[in-house]
Amino acid sequence: MDKTYVLVPRKCIGCRTCELACSFVHSNDGKLGRSRIHVHPIAEGHFIQMNCLQCVEAACVKVCPTKALARSEDTGAVRLLEGRCIGCALCATACPFGHIHFDRPAGLPVKCDLCGGEPACAKFCPSKALEMR
Amino acid sequence: MTVTFTINGVQVEAEAGGSVLDTARRYGFEVPSLCHHEAVVPYGACRMCLTEITRGKRRKITTSCNYEVLPGIEVRTDTPEVRRHQSMVLELILAKAPENKALRDLAARYGLRVPRFARVARQKIKDCILCGLCARVCSESIGAHALTFTGRGDLRDVGVPFQGEPRTCIGCGSCASVCPTSCIVMEDTRTTRKIWDRTFRFVACDVCGGPVMTEEHKEHAIKTAGLPAEYYKTCPTCRQNGLAGHFARVGS
Ligand code: SF4
Ligand code: SF4
Ligand code: FES
Repeated sequence: MDKTYVLVPRKCIGCRTCELACSFVHSNDGKLGRSRIHVHPIAEGHFIQMNCLQCVEAACVKVCPTKALARSEDTGAVRLLEGRCIGCALCATACPFGHIHFDRPAGLPVKCDLCGGEPACAKFCPSKALEMR
Repeated sequence: MTVTFTINGVQVEAEAGGSVLDTARRYGFEVPSLCHHEAVVPYGACRMCLTEITRGKRRKITTSCNYEVLPGIEVRTDTPEVRRHQSMVLELILAKAPENKALRDLAARYGLRVPRFARVARQKIKDCILCGLCARVCSESIGAHALTFTGRGDLRDVGVPFQGEPRTCIGCGSCASVCPTSCIVMEDTRTTRKIWDRTFRFVACDVCGGPVMTEEHKEHAIKTAGLPAEYYKTCPTCRQNGLAGHFARVGS
């Protein structure tokens, strides 16, 4: 884990390319609602990206009844182990920042895992408002 | 302790106590399953996960989900014989739920279209294949013990013990999430959730009034998950919006 995932809201132009990339990579779906990252307009011409903070003492990890959320050693991200998840949605309800959404049709939470160290959102951001550095 | 054996001729390693099925999947070998879930104890109900396992001089076709890894065993997941047995098992399961989408998709992979057997569906829930995964997850993972098998023989069923409303159900929806045939009906409105014929009220989000979780699930979470009640006051969307708004104020 030599690089850090950095969000630079000042540079965000609100194009939502990150949301598209995320949704596509993880659910083969162009639906922005399936994205793990979300862009919020905060003022005329200003935006902020909201994504999982990979908390050190993560509420989602604490509440999961099946240990389906675990810290990945190579990226430091809290990753969903799909095979262990029973779809109770408690993680989504417990995250104090609202960064996990629950995909009801799939029965699974939608949660950032940093794409194993090379986040698609950062790769596609045209204005370097998301970066690994 | 690590155990070494082979799957389709490839040498693999697994922790002692693990299952052949989980190991095979970890190494990228496809093995079908319906009643298996990593979160609960293997049960061996559906028989879809059949593989060929040779141990010393003994070779047999057996379920891999509840077969503990052993040093030196040879596992085959893809022989014509294995597929023939899996196909037969699936044909029998299909007789319980001939129109089910998940089962039909699986059947297509075996070139099965119309099952030879007459429909034998006497279960109360349409498309239930009696794998019991819902009941196991409810008891082992959630600890609610709301579901059980009822009846015997061809009257066997999965559902609420002694009929009526599921008294210990918390309306978490996990059973519906894990059901391999998606046959558990859960109906959500903005304020209520109906599942197993019981209607639950949602905790309303402090900001938008939308659903957070059922009141019973909240009580259960406060008792078992170790976070205080304040964590369950708003819905994820409003929480994220609130945080964005907070940063906007800090930034300006
Ligand atoms: S939805 Fe899955 S990952 Fe989230 S708390 Fe429930 S079991 Fe754990
Ligand atoms: S919804 Fe009710 S029956 Fe289903 S897993 Fe949750 S507590 Fe058990
Ligand atoms: S998955 Fe092994 S018997 Fe069902």
